[in-house]
Amino acid sequence: MTGYADLLLLAVLALDLYVVYTSRLAACVRASALQGAALALLPVAHYLENPSAHPAHVLIMAAGALLLKAILIPRLLTRALRGANVRRDVEPFVSLHLSVLLAGVLVGISFWLASVLALPAAGHTHLFVPTSFATFLIGFLVLVSRRKAITQVIGYLLIENGAYVFGQSLAAQMPFIVELGLLLDLLVGVFVMGIVILQINREFDSIDVDQLNLLKG
Amino acid sequence: MVHLLAMLLVAVLAIPIAGTGLCLLLPSARAVQTVLTTGVLTAALAAAWLSAAVFSFGPLNALGGWLFIDALSAYHLLLLALVFALSTVFASRYFRHEHALDARRARRFGALWLGSMAAMTLVLLSNHLGLMWVGIESTTLVTTFLIGLHRSRESLEATWKYLVICSVGIAIAFMGTLLVGASATRALPVPSDAMLWTRLREVAPLLDPSPLKIGFIFLLVGYGTKAGLAPMHTWLPDAHSQAPAPVSAIFSGVMLNTALYCIMRYIPVVEAATGGTGWSLRLLALFGVISMVVAAAFILFQRDAKRLLAYCSVEHMGIIAIGLSLGGLGTFAALFHAANHALAKTTGFFCAGRLGQIYGTHEMKSLRGTLRAAPLWGSGLLLGLLGLIGVVPSGTFMSELLTAKAAVDAHAIVVLVVFLAAAGTAFIGIFGHAMAMAWGTPPREGMAEKASLLDGVVVVLPLVVLAILGVWMPRPLRDMLEQAARIVRPAP
Repeated sequence: MTGYADLLLLAVLALDLYVVYTSRLAACVRASALQGAALALLPVAHYLENPSAHPAHVLIMAAGALLLKAILIPRLLTRALRGANVRRDVEPFVSLHLSVLLAGVLVGISFWLASVLALPAAGHTHLFVPTSFATFLIGFLVLVSRRKAITQVIGYLLIENGAYVFGQSLAAQMPFIVELGLLLDLLVGVFVMGIVILQINREFDSIDVDQLNLLKG
Repeated sequence: MVHLLAMLLVAVLAIPIAGTGLCLLLPSARAVQTVLTTGVLTAALAAAWLSAAVFSFGPLNALGGWLFIDALSAYHLLLLALVFALSTVFASRYFRHEHALDARRARRFGALWLGSMAAMTLVLLSNHLGLMWVGIESTTLVTTFLIGLHRSRESLEATWKYLVICSVGIAIAFMGTLLVGASATRALPVPSDAMLWTRLREVAPLLDPSPLKIGFIFLLVGYGTKAGLAPMHTWLPDAHSQAPAPVSAIFSGVMLNTALYCIMRYIPVVEAATGGTGWSLRLLALFGVISMVVAAAFILFQRDAKRLLAYCSVEHMGIIAIGLSLGGLGTFAALFHAANHALAKTTGFFCAGRLGQIYGTHEMKSLRGTLRAAPLWGSGLLLGLLGLIGVVPSGTFMSELLTAKAAVDAHAIVVLVVFLAAAGTAFIGIFGHAMAMAWGTPPREGMAEKASLLDGVVVVLPLVVLAILGVWMPRPLRDMLEQAARIVRPAP
C-alpha cells in the first residue's frame, strides 16, 4: 500500500542520497532542511492513515519538528557556513562517486536488516524501519568520509533523523515529553557544535577536521 | 515519612538545577564561587542523606514513578556526591593558580559545573529509560564547554572529538532505548509504562527477545562510548588530558561510572528476557577485555601524565565491565572497584593538574623530582598511581583480587588470563612512570608555594579512605554493595 507516509519516507531516502552526492555545503544544508520538513509531515501522514495517537500530540510534534529541523537548525548551519566562509567540501576522504556507491550498499543492507528483524511496531507501511536504518547508516558514512566540520554536523543530523524516523514508527510507545526532549537536545547539540566550529575556525583559520591532529597516543 | 523522602528525592535534583540558574545571574566571580560551593555541598549532603534513607527504608519513587532510587542508584549517587564535593573544593584552589576567572567566565563555569552535576544526578535518579537517556545526552552537552575552558588549539580539538563521538554514541543509545521499548509492545500494552525500568523489570520474561537483544547491542555500544570502553574510547584521552584538572576528575570519577550504570540497568532485564543464559554478559566481557588490552598497551608507551591517567580510566572501566560480566562475586567486586577507582583517580587528577601548573607541562619527562619540588602534590600523585595499580593496602587491590577470584569461580579462563596479563602490564607501566616522576632532580628548588590545609584534605582524604578499604570493609558498605549487586544480578 502506498500512502502519504511512504511517499515522505521515499523523499527522505532520496535526500539522504543527495547529501552524499553533492559537495556543495549550502546544498547539503538545504537538503537537510527539506528532509526536516518531510520528517515533520511524517507524524501527520502517519496519523491520517492510522489515527491512534492524540491529534494534539501529533500537531505539536509536527510543529516542533518543522520549527527545529526545517527552520532553526538549517539557519544555524547557514550562519556557521557564512562565519567560516566555506562553500565546498572538496577532497573528501572518500571520493563522491565511491560514497554514492557505498550509500547504495547501505540502503540495501538496511532493507535486508529490516526484513530479518521483523519488528512488531512498523505500522502500516514497510518503509519505516529500512528508511530509518538507511538514514542512520548514511549519516555515519557522511560523518566519517568528509573533511569539513560542518559536513560532520550534517552527518550527525542524518543519524538523528534516522533515530527520529524509528521513533515515529513506535510513536505509540514513546511518551510525548521524551520526543520533545529529543528535539530540544538536537537543537542544543547543533547549537553547541556551531559554536565550537566557529571557535575552531577562529583558532585554525579553517574547519578541516584533518587539521585536528595535535593529540596523539 | 515516605512523602518527606520523596520530596528529598526531588530536592537532590532540584538543588543543582536551581544553582545553575542562580550562577548565571550573579554579578561577581566571588558570588559565583560562594553559590557554587554551597550548592554542590548542599546537594551532596542531600544526596548522602537520601542514599542513607534508601538503605534503611528501601527504594523510593517520586513524580509518578518517573524518578526512582534503589540501592544501585543510591550507591552511585553517594560516589557522585563525594567526588563532586572534593572536586568543587579543589576547583576553588586550582583556579587561583590560573589567570583569575573574570565574572563572565566564572558565571559560565559555575553554571556548567552545577549543570553537569544536575545532569548526572538525573541519569541516576530516572526510572524512565527515555529520561535517563536525556540525562546522558545533557551531560555531554553541558560538559563540552568545560573541556575548552582554557581555549587552545589542543583543547578545541579535544572538545570537537568529544562532542562528535559522544553525540553519535548517544544517538546509537537512543535507537537502543527505542528497540527496548519496542520489545515491550506485547508485554506492556499501556504505552506510558513501556519505558519505566521498574515495569520492564517486572515483565522482563515476557519481552520480545529479538528487538531486545539488538537494542542491548546498540545500548552497549552507545553508552559504552560515553563510558570509555574500547574501541569507542578514542575521545577519552584527549578530553581528559585537555580539560582542567577538576573537570577531568569528575569525568573519570563520575561521568564514566554514570554511563556504565545505564548499561547495568539493562543487564537484569535482558538476562531475564533471554532465559538467563549470560548472553549480555558475554558481550560485556568482550568490551571489557578489549578495553584492558588497548589501555595496557597505551599506558606502557605514554609520555603525558594526564593521558596516562586517562588510559588508566579505560583500563579500569574494562575491569568493572569484566567484573560485571562474571556475575555473582564479580558484580560485587565491580561495584566496589568503581568506588576505589573514583577515589584514586580523583586524587590522581588533582595532583597531576597542580603539578602541571607548577612545572608548566604534563610531559612526564619534564615532571621530575615531584616529591622534592611539591611534596603534597608529588606524593599524592605517587600514592594515587600506586592505588590505581592495586598496591597493598588499597581497596583497588581487594576489588581486583575479588574480580580474579570470580573469574576462577566462573571458569572464565580466557578472561582471567587477559585480565591478569593486562593488569600486570599496566602495573609495570604505571609503576615505572610513577617512580620516575617522584624521584630525580626537579628543574629548580622551591617551585611550589606551601600547600594549604584544604589542599591537604582533598588529597589525603580519598587516599586514606582507599587505604582503609584495602584492609577493612565496614559492615554498612558491604550491605550496600550486596544490595546493589543483587539488583544487577539477582541470585538465581
